[in-house]
Amino acid sequence: MHINRELKRLRWFLIAPALILFTCFTALPGVRALIYSFQKWDGFNEPEWVGTQNFQALLADDLFIPALKNNAILMVAGGAITLCLALLFASTIHRGMRGAGIFRVAFFFPNILAAVAIAILWQQMYSTTDFGIINAVWIQLQEALPGVFLDKDQSPAPFPFTDSNYLIWSIVPMLVWTATGFYMVLFLAAMQSIPEEFYEAATIDGASPRQQFWHITFPLIREVFIVGIVFFIISTAKFFDAVWVMEAELPNKNSHVMATVLYQKVFHEYNVGYAAAVAVVLFILVFIATLITLNFSRKDSLEY
Amino acid sequence: MKYLTYILLSLWLLAVTIPLAWVGVNSLRSSKEIVENPFGVPWLVQGSPHQEEAGHPTPQESAQSNFQNAWVESNFSQYFLNSLIVTSVSLVMILLFGAMAAYALAKIPSLGNRLIYLYFISGMMIPAQLTLVPLFFQYSYLSETLSAWTAPLGIEIQLHNSHAGLILIYIAFSLPFTILILTGFFKSLPNALRESAIIDGASEFTVFWRIMLPLARPGIISAAIFNFLGLWNEYLFALIFVNTPEKKTLPLGLSNVSIQAQYNTDFGLLFAGLVIVIIPTLITYLVLQRQLTKGITAGALKG
Repeated sequence: MHINRELKRLRWFLIAPALILFTCFTALPGVRALIYSFQKWDGFNEPEWVGTQNFQALLADDLFIPALKNNAILMVAGGAITLCLALLFASTIHRGMRGAGIFRVAFFFPNILAAVAIAILWQQMYSTTDFGIINAVWIQLQEALPGVFLDKDQSPAPFPFTDSNYLIWSIVPMLVWTATGFYMVLFLAAMQSIPEEFYEAATIDGASPRQQFWHITFPLIREVFIVGIVFFIISTAKFFDAVWVMEAELPNKNSHVMATVLYQKVFHEYNVGYAAAVAVVLFILVFIATLITLNFSRKDSLEY
Repeated sequence: MKYLTYILLSLWLLAVTIPLAWVGVNSLRSSKEIVENPFGVPWLVQGSPHQEEAGHPTPQESAQSNFQNAWVESNFSQYFLNSLIVTSVSLVMILLFGAMAAYALAKIPSLGNRLIYLYFISGMMIPAQLTLVPLFFQYSYLSETLSAWTAPLGIEIQLHNSHAGLILIYIAFSLPFTILILTGFFKSLPNALRESAIIDGASEFTVFWRIMLPLARPGIISAAIFNFLGLWNEYLFALIFVNTPEKKTLPLGLSNVSIQAQYNTDFGLLFAGLVIVIIPTLITYLVLQRQLTKGITAGALKG
């Protein structure tokens, strides 16, 4: 097509607003963060160039390393439970069952709630001030089954997860509760694109449902499953809201995650370069994970 | 095996719905009742044992006072309005600018298109956390510079603690995903439409505005739903760029009330606040549920 002058002008008129906004408020700050991470800066005085000093300091930091460990707990524990449950639910619903629609709609719902609302909801369920339902069930359970959880003469203890030391572990069930529906719908969408003939043929050959799952369903959605894993890694690397809210904006050494350390370094300790280094590490994790997703989603149109 | 998975699915259904029902029930009860009876339902049906006491609120009165406290005294009406303003203005801009750029990239062939497209899409890899700190200082600098220019007009521009500042960030951050969805959509529209319209004497802009844009409506709707939920629930940027109560959005207001509830133990208020935050998303979800799950998973697979 021949491009005339009118069209050329229109093209720039159409692209310019998005290009300018994106450049100024996303791309440029992103590049700036990379530069900051090699500087020592308190946000007021002249920044000083310090090379990789910030990153070296990170490796020995008594806040960052536990935070990284906490992110890893969310990733591994949360990811393993969520993805397995999602796969189990999706494969059950996929092979046809009554009420599948209700399960799908209900399971997905927590995903669209504000992370802040979910965090507060769970905080209240864990609450030890008598009315948290998880805590109440826990106390009832200890009273109903003396000698199982506690020695006979001990009085029931509050649910340990509410303790700040175990905060990350108490977030794992919350994460599973929220995310399972999302991954279930993701896997279900992939499963529904598998041709029905595969299962018909397998049934004629006498393959059990379990064999059908491991030899047809799972191999054909493997790419999407890996995308799911990467997704989980990205979302838990960025994790912030729930820790921040549950810890009343003051996480301690045991409950920090990368994003809360970043906040603390900038706005409490005025160590801008150091915070930027935290952000860069977080970015590199997300970046690698995204590259893997893009690589897989390009290949996800399997030839049948 | 079949029954076992059925039981497991049903248990999960309970696990998802009970907490939400619990929030709803507790928003209708006084803090005293909540603390004394965590499960709530029996008291809601039978009436609480305090019902006989003089001056004890009836369920209707508790509900009314919880929501009134949240809506009026705890400023939820203000937070709600702020969220509505920030979300809707951002959304309109995102869809407008996103559709404009996506149309140009999809339908006006040019050498640079692929490069510009990749530039936008690469933005999806940038986590909010990376840009937070530079944006914070950039805003201070920008506000100062712009205010110096506009000072003769008596206008002071402040991007910190302002809805405008927050909206700018929201637009910029939502553009990559929006452009990704919409470029794919415009590409699927036939070129013949444009050519015949041009022959009929329409200008290039008319082709975009009056023919292509209306045809891209399904794509625009899914982008709108996706962005609405993301922005309505956004917390991190709002936390950093909005400070005063009269500017705060709903998630910020809710987290404030939650922190206060630990001291003043007004849990009825907290649960009412949760309900106020959850209801709009619940309605959106129930109305647009099918498009939403489809859009989110499709976006997820691409992103």
